[in-house]
Amino acid sequence: MGWKGGTVVAAFALVATMGSVSFAAPQADTGQASIQARLKRVGVDLFSGADRVHESIRELKAVLAVDPRSAEAHFLLGIAYGKLGSAELMGEATAEFRQALSLNPSFVQARYYLAQLYLNLGRAQRAREELDAALVQVPGHPQFLALLGEAERHLGHPQRSIELNQQALQVDPSFAQARYYSGLAMLDLGRRDEAIRELERVAQSGPALPEVYLSLGSAYLDAGRVDEALDALLRGNRIDPARADIRIRLARAYRSKGLLDEAEEQLKLAESAGSPRLASFVFEQMESDLYLEQGLVNMQRGRLDAAADAFKKVLDRDTNNGPANRFIAEVYLRRGLYTLALAHATRAEQLGFPLPEALRKQLQEKLHSKETRPRK
Amino acid sequence: MTGLRCLATLLVALVPIAQSRQASDRHVPFVDVTAKSKIDFVHKSGASREKYMVETFGSGVAWIDYDNDGFPDLYFVNGAPGAANVLYHNNRDGTFTDVTQKAGVAANANPKSYKTGVAVGDYNNDGYLDLYVTAFGPNILYRNNGDGTFTDVTAAAGVAGGPTEWSTSTGFFDFDRDGYLDLYVVNYLDYRLDDNPYCGYRKEGYRMYCNPTMFDGTADRLFHNNGDGTFTDVSLKAGIANPAGKGLGVTFCDFDRDGYTDIYVANDLVRNFLYRNNGDGTFTDVAYGAGVGFDPNGKPRAGMGVDCADFNGDGLPDLFVTNFSEELNALYQNRGDGTFEEVSEKAGLGSSFLPLGFGTKMFDFDNDGDLDIYVTNGHVIDNIKLYRPDFSYAQKDLLYENIGGRFRDVSAASGPALQIDRVGRGLAVGDFDNDGNLDVVISSVGRPPVLLRNQGVPGRSWIMIRAQGTKSNAFGLGAKVTVETAGGRQVREINNVASYLSSNDVRVHFGLGDAKRIQRIEVLWPSGTRQVLNDVAVNQILVIKEP
Repeated sequence: MGWKGGTVVAAFALVATMGSVSFAAPQADTGQASIQARLKRVGVDLFSGADRVHESIRELKAVLAVDPRSAEAHFLLGIAYGKLGSAELMGEATAEFRQALSLNPSFVQARYYLAQLYLNLGRAQRAREELDAALVQVPGHPQFLALLGEAERHLGHPQRSIELNQQALQVDPSFAQARYYSGLAMLDLGRRDEAIRELERVAQSGPALPEVYLSLGSAYLDAGRVDEALDALLRGNRIDPARADIRIRLARAYRSKGLLDEAEEQLKLAESAGSPRLASFVFEQMESDLYLEQGLVNMQRGRLDAAADAFKKVLDRDTNNGPANRFIAEVYLRRGLYTLALAHATRAEQLGFPLPEALRKQLQEKLHSKETRPRK
Repeated sequence: MTGLRCLATLLVALVPIAQSRQASDRHVPFVDVTAKSKIDFVHKSGASREKYMVETFGSGVAWIDYDNDGFPDLYFVNGAPGAANVLYHNNRDGTFTDVTQKAGVAANANPKSYKTGVAVGDYNNDGYLDLYVTAFGPNILYRNNGDGTFTDVTAAAGVAGGPTEWSTSTGFFDFDRDGYLDLYVVNYLDYRLDDNPYCGYRKEGYRMYCNPTMFDGTADRLFHNNGDGTFTDVSLKAGIANPAGKGLGVTFCDFDRDGYTDIYVANDLVRNFLYRNNGDGTFTDVAYGAGVGFDPNGKPRAGMGVDCADFNGDGLPDLFVTNFSEELNALYQNRGDGTFEEVSEKAGLGSSFLPLGFGTKMFDFDNDGDLDIYVTNGHVIDNIKLYRPDFSYAQKDLLYENIGGRFRDVSAASGPALQIDRVGRGLAVGDFDNDGNLDVVISSVGRPPVLLRNQGVPGRSWIMIRAQGTKSNAFGLGAKVTVETAGGRQVREINNVASYLSSNDVRVHFGLGDAKRIQRIEVLWPSGTRQVLNDVAVNQILVIKEP
């Protein structure tokens, strides 16, 4: 089954190319000056990767208690909520960025992070609007161009994404973010080998982001390069062990190598992992991926009932899931439930996931012999 | 007696108690009299397979004595496009008559508009209560002509709001104390019917209403009353145009006791707003400092309905917010220093954790001199059982009795009316039979409403005050009323804006326990005028005219 990388938009920090967030100049009164100093400290903590997000949130709320109209404080609070990786705080993070922008419409950094959030919420059109508005203020800025490219990819325009990312790379050929998004767009266009080369370059030289290894690992898997996939996915897993999506891919890689115990272990860990920064529809997709992989592992172990149960869970969420229909058809065929197998095989074929020729033939023969068997 | 000085300036009207109290079971305060009252309204939600979010948020209900006969009439908002709102005249005998057609307040001319909330107030100070109806679509202001009819004056008044805005709760209040009621309109999501994502499992019957996190909020609106029948949108200038908000509920109280009415907005999955009135036409959101924006863990909750009132008798208005299921309803105790403490669990409100709360009101249902809490519940996802078999769309109401500042859940012991599952949304409190016991009306999504008559507790005293402003707004909204009896002192603000999408009786009610006389009543009018009455009789509806 093919997988499109980037369901969670890689959190490339804007400050990597824009310098530190510029705060309003300290005012004459000491109260305001001290607020600016506090914001600067929090900003450093948040952008340096220091493990002080909860402290930062407390400090920012304290600042907002004194100065509720501080656009910088709202912006940083949005960043901090995003770093917590909690789905339930995504709305609040969006609200903080939007409030920052309402207080200071030229706060271009807020637009960048807001756009990133919108992409994670599946709202690529809104992301595009924010980035278009930002690019009026900072024309040709590579990071905004790159994220706009990613928004275009989400909107189904991978070629446009590549063009925008090429523009960004012309400004800065070492710009990993643009190369990463280009790689994803190439995957969408079916240019897998090129994509892998781009993603490899990012993995070698870019920031160590789990999404990069997830995308690369998945591309390797689709290309049948299982050992390289395992290596990439394990790297991603080391960076963020809480990522269920990486563990599901790892399970697939282990299964491909016949290491079913390891695959099952990863699926168990994935089931207990959180759902960082995921909107509900992304979370539901990940659940389906998890159950599908569980089904495939069980199928490979010959545990057909358990496999059928897992595929049913996928179909409970989406009756039109092609792979689940295709594999449950195979399970039913192996269990001698030919009518059910036919129903799912037909559905799978309609969805573009036909049974392999040998299995199809086998099913037809079984159905034929069932029909022609003399009745007692 | 000193009160005589004040009495000279008062118009005091004693309204006879319409119905003698019936002997009642102490534990069955509310009786469903919907059928008996001849209210046959049925809410239409416009529910569709498309699961447009606006279908499930319901519509409000309002008590409005539109003809000034002393008996509150009822106005129901209807949701679906084309469905008519209904105004019922109170026949003073426990029954109501549909007078919508004559009154001209059906509000169903716009074929695309889903009607949501309602506000009641006399914006032009002619002594008659007007109506403002919010919608997913343009809002409508109906001026009461004083003859049983209303006129749509929205365009002239300039209060339609955005043509595609999703407005929810709303209310009149006089934020600048100029004697004219201004208008606050809460807005919810930036939502479009033609951009309605699929949410839930992709399986027949499983499509569900989306989570609000998927959409942006929309800034609320504040309309300043120009005093000439028109309003000016001052949202930006006043500092309340915050696009972060996803507002569903609103209430007004003077939390810091500086004489200017403040605003509290309950937002859905975004922090709540507490707008402190700066007294100069601007507001500052002080929710972060006041501690009323989040739950105790710093996370935003899904705020729905809201009320402010003094639950613990310290003279300061506290806050109550209903929230989503698996979130406690929030009771914030006003510390009097600009901060609040959430005391929900400590105060005994733990049973609100599972239900999904909407309309609510703090009022003294048993006339014992303190404020109790009523909450109507109902999930927002109509097929929630498919996802969570332990949950249900329709849910039971909650009734909490205040016992010395702590609450006891008395729902189960409060008779059959509270054992009925409903998809509760709007809730409004008023004394429709003028017997001194506050009654409750509740709207449900796609169902008939329910009118609950409060049977009262025999032997308990009460007083209800109808304020008549002269320099202040005509119904005295925002006035602070203090009532002192041998049993103690109670402070209330005259504020009909509370609950969810709904509007309450404009008269302020006090339960007085076993008090035989009221030693002192003090009214601090929005104009700044302080008025005192001494030695006042209990068990009456008292009209107090601003001197």
